[in-house]
Amino acid sequence: MTTMAILTDVTRCIGCEECVSACRRTNDTGSDAPYRWQGGVNDLSSTRWTTLVETGNRNVRLHCRHCLDPACAAACPVGALSRTEAGAVAYNPVICMGCRYCMVACPFAMTRYEWESATPRVRKCILCYDKIKAGELSQPACTAACPTEATIFGDREALLAEARSRIAAAPQRYIDHIWGEHEVGGTSVLTISDVDLTDARWPDDLGTGSRPELARKVLHTVPYTFFGVAGLMYGVHWTLERRRQVAAAEGPTAATADPGDEVQRNEEES
Amino acid sequence: MNEANNTRLIVTKAVLWFLIGIAAAVAVARYLRGLGATTALTDGTPWGLWIGFDVLSGVALAAGGFVIAATVHIFHLDRYHGLVRPAVLTAFLGYLAVALGLLVDLGRPWNIWRMIVFWQPDSPLFEVGWCVMLYLTVLALEFVPVLFEGLKWERALRVMRRVSLVLVIAGIGLSTLHQSSLGTLFLLAKDRLHPLWYSPILPLLFFVSAIGLGLMMVAVESSTTAWLYHRHGEWPVLRGLVRAASVVLLLYLAVRLTDLGLRHQLHLLVQPSWYSVLFALELAMSVVIPLVLFNLPSLSDKHWPVVVGAFTGVAGFVLHRADVGGIVHLAAGGETYLPALTEILVSVGLVSGMALIFLFFVERFPVWEEAPANPDHFTPPISDPLTHNYFGGVWFGRAHLAAAGWVIGIVVGMVVLETTTTGGKYPPAVPTRSARTVAAVRLVVDESMPASLLFLGNEIAPAQFPEGFTTALLIDGDRAGRAVLFDHTAHRDRLGGEASCNLCHHRNLRFERGTPCATCHADMYRCTDTFIHDDHITALGNNASCGRCHPATEAVKNRASATPCVECHRAEISQAFAEGRHQCSTDAAVGDIACSGCHGVSAASDPEERADRSEIAGIAPGYRLAMHQLCVECHCAHESKKAIEEPVMTRCGFCHRGVESEIEVVPDDGIGGRPVVVAEGFFQ
Repeated sequence: MTTMAILTDVTRCIGCEECVSACRRTNDTGSDAPYRWQGGVNDLSSTRWTTLVETGNRNVRLHCRHCLDPACAAACPVGALSRTEAGAVAYNPVICMGCRYCMVACPFAMTRYEWESATPRVRKCILCYDKIKAGELSQPACTAACPTEATIFGDREALLAEARSRIAAAPQRYIDHIWGEHEVGGTSVLTISDVDLTDARWPDDLGTGSRPELARKVLHTVPYTFFGVAGLMYGVHWTLERRRQVAAAEGPTAATADPGDEVQRNEEES
Repeated sequence: MNEANNTRLIVTKAVLWFLIGIAAAVAVARYLRGLGATTALTDGTPWGLWIGFDVLSGVALAAGGFVIAATVHIFHLDRYHGLVRPAVLTAFLGYLAVALGLLVDLGRPWNIWRMIVFWQPDSPLFEVGWCVMLYLTVLALEFVPVLFEGLKWERALRVMRRVSLVLVIAGIGLSTLHQSSLGTLFLLAKDRLHPLWYSPILPLLFFVSAIGLGLMMVAVESSTTAWLYHRHGEWPVLRGLVRAASVVLLLYLAVRLTDLGLRHQLHLLVQPSWYSVLFALELAMSVVIPLVLFNLPSLSDKHWPVVVGAFTGVAGFVLHRADVGGIVHLAAGGETYLPALTEILVSVGLVSGMALIFLFFVERFPVWEEAPANPDHFTPPISDPLTHNYFGGVWFGRAHLAAAGWVIGIVVGMVVLETTTTGGKYPPAVPTRSARTVAAVRLVVDESMPASLLFLGNEIAPAQFPEGFTTALLIDGDRAGRAVLFDHTAHRDRLGGEASCNLCHHRNLRFERGTPCATCHADMYRCTDTFIHDDHITALGNNASCGRCHPATEAVKNRASATPCVECHRAEISQAFAEGRHQCSTDAAVGDIACSGCHGVSAASDPEERADRSEIAGIAPGYRLAMHQLCVECHCAHESKKAIEEPVMTRCGFCHRGVESEIEVVPDDGIGGRPVVVAEGFFQ
């Protein structure tokens, strides 16, 4: 199955926030309430899965970027977060144990939490994958709602081609960069813009390496480490035990000649 | 020393029970009210002290268990044998604290079992979870011989002795994995951790520091209990431990600094910032001070350097774990995390609980080679209905003191909760009322200027309006209790009579039940372009109105060729200047009030100067910025992060006010027999 994606053209956004309303309606997120733990009134929150931030006099849409190799899914110890075949990073609250490691791991800090609840859930854009899968929607609510087609839904490869052709058609208008094409191994949310998006959660130092790889490299050494250490320890134990037995068999005079025991005895005396 | 009269021990236990009481109260509130109400965690900094201290430090402090076990059972350094059992007990309790701490920190702890069933080998936390479970089991098995010995179950004891080597080796292997995997945990947090702390070799750093920390923790535990039970400390052995720790600490220091150097982050150390200070403090406490105290030749015959050095070192590494666990996490919004009092109290209570369990075991089971005499302050309180003596026994110095400490702790905990956890709750409800009609008087000072509205007292029924008065809507403007006088009639007339109702009365917006002014006057609230083209089209009569602003039909219809704003808005603009509300009203370039000077809307001005000007002002970024002369830019940036209870200056009601929401009607004010409140603002 092809990876579906969203392409947002910042230059076309008029800041009407129809995407925000549509998301709220469709996903039934409830109305916003002011809480201490939110980044600000316009920041993402557990009831606001997408939002607009202003950067360089432009409105830039923020929401989960659906990484191709999502750090949140790799972080989750129970598999509550997972990437669907279509490319959406989905969340299953039933099995979530609430460790919030996904929030720590997200390179873009897009996940939000229901801090006010005694049974809190992780909240974020899920690309309307449930509604699309059930056939209720043909595309996410936000892209369907956009009056200027500033944000569109489609096959990732096709959207990349579209983005490239837009930039090629008006090189003086756009910055020659597709945010999300390579960052952190690629995301399913692509953005083209005429202003720099560093302040819209696209930091300069993201790099193109996928985040889960960082830990995978270490995790793959786990069995070797365990058996290596265990083997080494048994080896040391066996050697020292054997030496002690030999020393005992050879009698007390030979034992004093053992340099290891000598050191130990000296230490004890001091 | 008579154990029964060991005041030191009894008071310590009472204090520990007191701390447990506080933590218990907070823990109950955490389950009832959620994490938001009982922690300082935010969406930007989702991990805090309960991860950094309870989990990371709990595991690290337990490292003494496997280090001492390896020393004695693998390397056969038998003189440390006396430390094995207390160290294993400490490790077991450390891991128990981790498990309990996790249950407090997890949002949905009832799902923790799923980790056993649904394997996620890519997740470092999955590895951590498994290590905790397995190693806790191993530690329990390593410790049960002590229980069997105490209970005199010889047969079980023999079985356990036979498998002890397997357990020790399994424990070492698991600990190696586990100590390092806590570092692996933060490899995924590359974009979150401050560069002074993030490193690809975090697993190695965690492992090395855990060994040093474990050794020092054994010294801390041994010297504390020696003081508590008036025992002779195991000083020669402890000195050997801290000497070994010194080597590990030196290694840790070298690796840490080399790593910083290789990653080219050393310059961050010399930049004065909260993080460089924290880093220096952490390194001084965890490495430098212990190294000096353990190794200065002049201190080698004293005991206090061992104790002080070990305590400082343990505190330093706990700080390191707390830093990595949450304190040095960088939120996208720039906010930082510092633990709330409630979080600290739970962590302290958890440690207190573990300390009490430790004392319980050493008093009843052969943990030490020389067990302390069974203290008699366990005697339960005597309650005798015949003599009406319900609080028998010696009041202080017996179990009563601990019970009293616990109860007082719960009370204190509840008091602390009530005063500190409101930050996470909904802000207290402000009794706002729906918009209501009030009498007002329209003041027309000058025909060329928009009229001002003057609010007259509280609600007045329309029938009672005095002659010449008009009505306005009194709207509760914000949560600071300010109201705005809204000229509903003027708005309706301007927007197109009855047909225009739905322009305002159909939206349901964030934080407001009604439609806030900023929904239409978006340019006031948000930092966007002043000029909203669509609104002008609607207001002026749709397509027929193009010519109003673009008179030259053949010219390109753009900003440069359009009629300057001032053609239509002369009155508002001149009033803004007259009242000094424009940001640069004294600037010579705006003397003619034709915005072209700064805002580049007219092609007439000198292109070079226009380019120069537009760099300063550009297109006016919003009414608020253009019109309001006070530091709005800064407020805009700061107020988006403000707690909602505080007054938000970017809300209409903050400036367009002069009308308090709840005003008592004061009779006989001199105008038509009606009370009056002078409106300072400019309502139009």
